[in-house]
Amino acid sequence: MSEWRRLNARMLLVHPIETLVRLLPAVLVVLIARSGSDSDARWELIALPVIVAWGVLRWVTTRYRIIDGQIELQRGLLNKQTTTARLDKVRTVDLTAKVHHRVLGLAKVEISTGGGPRDRLVLDSLLVDEGRRLRAELLHRANPEVTALPAPTGSPTDLSDLAPGIDAAPPADEEVLLRLDPSWIRYAPLTTTGLATAAAGLGFLTQGFTRFGDTSELIVERAQWVRELAWWVDAVLVLVLICGLAVAAYVLTFWGFRLTRNRLGSLHTRRGLLTTRETSIDPARVRGIQVDEPLGLRLAGARRLKVVTTGLLKEQGGSDWLCPPAPAATVTALSRQITPDEAAVSGELLAHGSAARRRRLTRAVVPVVVVLALLVVGRVAWGWTAALLGIAPVLLVAAVALGIDRYRSLGHAVTARHLVTRHGSLDRQRVVLDRDGIIGWKVEQSFFQRRAAIATLVATTAAGRQHYDVVDVPIEQAYAVLAEVSPELVDQFR
Amino acid sequence: MREPAHRVSTRAIGMWTVEALTVVLVLLGGQVVWWFIDDRASRTAHWVVGAAWLVLSVAYVIGMPRWRYRVHRWEATEHAIYTQSGWLRQERRIAPLSRVQTIDLERGPVAQLFTLASVTVTTASAAGPLTIHGLDLPVARELVEALTTSAVRERGDAT
Repeated sequence: MSEWRRLNARMLLVHPIETLVRLLPAVLVVLIARSGSDSDARWELIALPVIVAWGVLRWVTTRYRIIDGQIELQRGLLNKQTTTARLDKVRTVDLTAKVHHRVLGLAKVEISTGGGPRDRLVLDSLLVDEGRRLRAELLHRANPEVTALPAPTGSPTDLSDLAPGIDAAPPADEEVLLRLDPSWIRYAPLTTTGLATAAAGLGFLTQGFTRFGDTSELIVERAQWVRELAWWVDAVLVLVLICGLAVAAYVLTFWGFRLTRNRLGSLHTRRGLLTTRETSIDPARVRGIQVDEPLGLRLAGARRLKVVTTGLLKEQGGSDWLCPPAPAATVTALSRQITPDEAAVSGELLAHGSAARRRRLTRAVVPVVVVLALLVVGRVAWGWTAALLGIAPVLLVAAVALGIDRYRSLGHAVTARHLVTRHGSLDRQRVVLDRDGIIGWKVEQSFFQRRAAIATLVATTAAGRQHYDVVDVPIEQAYAVLAEVSPELVDQFR
Repeated sequence: MREPAHRVSTRAIGMWTVEALTVVLVLLGGQVVWWFIDDRASRTAHWVVGAAWLVLSVAYVIGMPRWRYRVHRWEATEHAIYTQSGWLRQERRIAPLSRVQTIDLERGPVAQLFTLASVTVTTASAAGPLTIHGLDLPVARELVEALTTSAVRERGDAT
């Protein structure tokens, strides 16, 4: 295992494809430009051998090995770079296979050793099996018996894996914690991520329409047809479109989602319809869980679950998801399996008192009052229509409801092994943080918080968002939490 | 929980005053530019803004450094470091030395003028650095020494 290894030779095929995709805009420009000229020169064909040669060069110069408890990655011809990482610092290992990777049976392996983008080794690409073996070596080094076992996550990814049910049974030492139930797709339009994806898709489409709108007879006719419909039909159409896009995004990202845990406690997720992605999380790096309960999901009785761990990067969107939007009961049961602490996962939380409630209500109502004041001024000074003021009651009721819900969401608890904190309304989340994972504290007080004798207690950690806050808690309660969770720290400063 | 035991150096008031003056003078510079590029005859707006600038600046330059000095405190034991800082917005930070990753001594240009230094202690959390501003240079050196010794003794993974 100490000899140098290379990337798989099939990457020579992947590399030109990826380069072409990246250069696609430029290629299109060249093609369009040529369509108007008589020139016969196919000079862009020169680019092809260059790209291939570049890929070969990369393949020849890139090699990696595991030696003396370290993984070494060497790249470059003239400017030789060697990246080294200690194996006991490896936190997560990601296997990503885009469509062209999957056709060739390849996967890109990303090894993360810290919080920053520089603390990452990327091997693009290895055979899926090879990647899995490497992952096993990296994450299971504590147990050589397991390292000697064949690939830990069952059969390699191929297209037949996609249909649930046909999936090969995982090896016996692996426990399946969760499998996507296709009926959960109904929750897709209820999350902000779903809506954001839909909005992005919609924006893209409209851009396309405006570009071709002038020329295409068909689109002009359709647009006319839409314009003649009643306004509510239009609204329904837009809603249907948004839901459709959100569902499509959900299916693309989470199809075949499976969460497993092997006997050493490593968590593995696997998901994706076209691009498949496997993430493995070392149990020693897990610092807690986060249950997301955004308003839309809460109203539909659903939740989603994320893991709070060191070494996952923000830009790898969604790598920390342990469960896509799913019924609350499923998520709670899963949370208990991962964090066997009943009180922390579903127990009642301590409320934060009247000052916190007052602040939530003020923050929700004041902006609405400002808007209403502007409307009144507009009516008096510029004669705006009075109908605008008709929305006042609706806005006020909504603001008060939001404030109350935000207050009721606020809470914290300290259990034997965890600190629990919850806040937010539209994006409510309950974080269950390992007490051992807390590496420092902050007690923050703004001027107004001091006058109300409340504070924001911040637990800092190396995992997830790096800090988790207990918002607007009475100051003596904040210190009580501090004293209970970290007595050895506080006792010195009594 | 009581306050941390030690105040920072009294010369820190001078350092913060210089820093406050810099901010205030930059704002004044903005106004001077505005005075010359504005070609309307009326200068009322300039005088109003100028008066507001004067009142706020005097209050800031005199008040902020003294207020800060009353708030800023620090204490280090063998196992933990504990700081208090801010003025309008105040915060206390506490971290066990077993979780400390780096200890930095820093001297900005203004701090050098007053022979002061600041000590920054970072942990593995991006949200958790503790900084003590306005320490006497010898005190800061001694503190770094002491923290390094204790942090080395308390070995852990720091995450």
